[in-house]
Amino acid sequence: MKISRAIAVVIAALVVAGARPAAAADSIDPDADFKAFRDYYTKLFPNVPLNDFVNGPYSMDADLRKQWEAIDDFPPYDFAIDRGKQMFATPFKNGKAYGDCFPDNGIGIRQNYPYFDLKTGEVITLELALNRCREANGEESYSYVKDEMASLTAYMAFTSRGKPFDIKIPNDPRALAAYQKGEEYFYARRGQLNFSCASCHVQNPGNHIRTEVLAPALGIVAAMPIYRSEWNGMGTMSRRLVTCNSQVRGVPLKPQDELYRDVEYYLSYMSNGLPISGPGARP
Amino acid sequence: MRAWICLAVMLLLAGAAQGASTEADFKTALAAAEAAEQEAGALKNQWIPTEQALAEAKKAAAAGDFDTAVVQAKQAEALAKASIAQAKEQQTAWRAGIIR
Amino acid sequence: MRGGAAHGPALFVAAVLVLFAGARASAQTLPGQVLPGQVLAFDRGKGNCLTCHDIKGGDSPGNLGPPLADMKARFPDRKELTAIVFDETRRNPQSVMPPFGRNLILTDGEIEAIVDFLYTR
Repeated sequence: MKISRAIAVVIAALVVAGARPAAAADSIDPDADFKAFRDYYTKLFPNVPLNDFVNGPYSMDADLRKQWEAIDDFPPYDFAIDRGKQMFATPFKNGKAYGDCFPDNGIGIRQNYPYFDLKTGEVITLELALNRCREANGEESYSYVKDEMASLTAYMAFTSRGKPFDIKIPNDPRALAAYQKGEEYFYARRGQLNFSCASCHVQNPGNHIRTEVLAPALGIVAAMPIYRSEWNGMGTMSRRLVTCNSQVRGVPLKPQDELYRDVEYYLSYMSNGLPISGPGARP
Repeated sequence: MRAWICLAVMLLLAGAAQGASTEADFKTALAAAEAAEQEAGALKNQWIPTEQALAEAKKAAAAGDFDTAVVQAKQAEALAKASIAQAKEQQTAWRAGIIR
Repeated sequence: MRGGAAHGPALFVAAVLVLFAGARASAQTLPGQVLPGQVLAFDRGKGNCLTCHDIKGGDSPGNLGPPLADMKARFPDRKELTAIVFDETRRNPQSVMPPFGRNLILTDGEIEAIVDFLYTR
């Protein structure tokens, strides 16, 4: 009896040891995240109408808002819209044009980006799609951080003004993984200064670093691309991410790096339902 | 005050002259720093000051100042290692800030 | 170089002690002079403290952190204040204060100088 009991104990121990512990990993639930995200900001700022969050620092600070309204008669990004419209109307060398690469000729579709491409298994942002369109039609790609890309995205955003973000996460583990990588990127500390995106845009919206009022993360991508007074010019989504990295003394990734696209995907999904406000103006 | 400084500098130089770094010392220090920075790169978490220290190290070495070059290379290695530690810690720590 | 190597470290230590003595001797500033710690604290490439903290003597401060005033009363233990500058995430894991010591943003000497300055606020 003793031996068989000993064997039983040993077997039981081996079974327990061999059994994989139930994965403690948090399951990915974008809809729960979405609700928690939105509730956090609406509770923190009960007097800000939901749609106003897309105006970033102006939704946080009344004085700043007055300054913004004063310049809105002659928006500083108008030249970018005009240029983008002209670029859209100009065919490539092969006779095709930007509209041929997009649904609805590229008009009024900005709110659907980024999307997850099930064929290639990657996040496609608007900027990436524009350069792929160029390359597919024998044209050289544009820098992601300069004015041509800003003009194209400014025009496309303008044609979608007021349309609510409609970002989809298909029921595919790769899409969920990209979403989660974006969420991780957003919350992870980086750079010698040890900030995460959340340090400023979740923990300190409405507060100011020196004189700069920090925007809430809710709706933060709705105004892209932006004319930034501090930059004396336009800034694309790529430029903004690269600059944020350097500001915390982190070596920036290459524009449109997979992680940058993932974080744009995450932030855009969090802003579902909020209206496109781009192109925008910022201090 | 000046007298203190003069005396200190003379002593420092005397001390330094005794243990000057060689090109070989620099190459060893640089290799260690670059290996660490490469690891940080694989984690997509390099720091700007690390790159600056590496550049300073190479610049000093090119000018034959191996003392400075070694100091900068060692600083670069320390910074790179700190950036690796940050990335590794954040692989789990990032969740603490999620809005729930 | 014969026999020189043995003297090197001793000379270096002597040099450090002499510098230390000289530095302590000049810790007092004359009225109107600015403490080295203030220069470091306000320097955007060093402490850059004004980005987040209101400190007397500085302009356009941010407000991510509390105003730095009444420091002697609030931090009677110098070690506590030094630890905060070195790495506040040890005390508060969610702190947005950069870990100036742990991440090698400032040297130990620079942190000491800044703490000296903070105690005058």
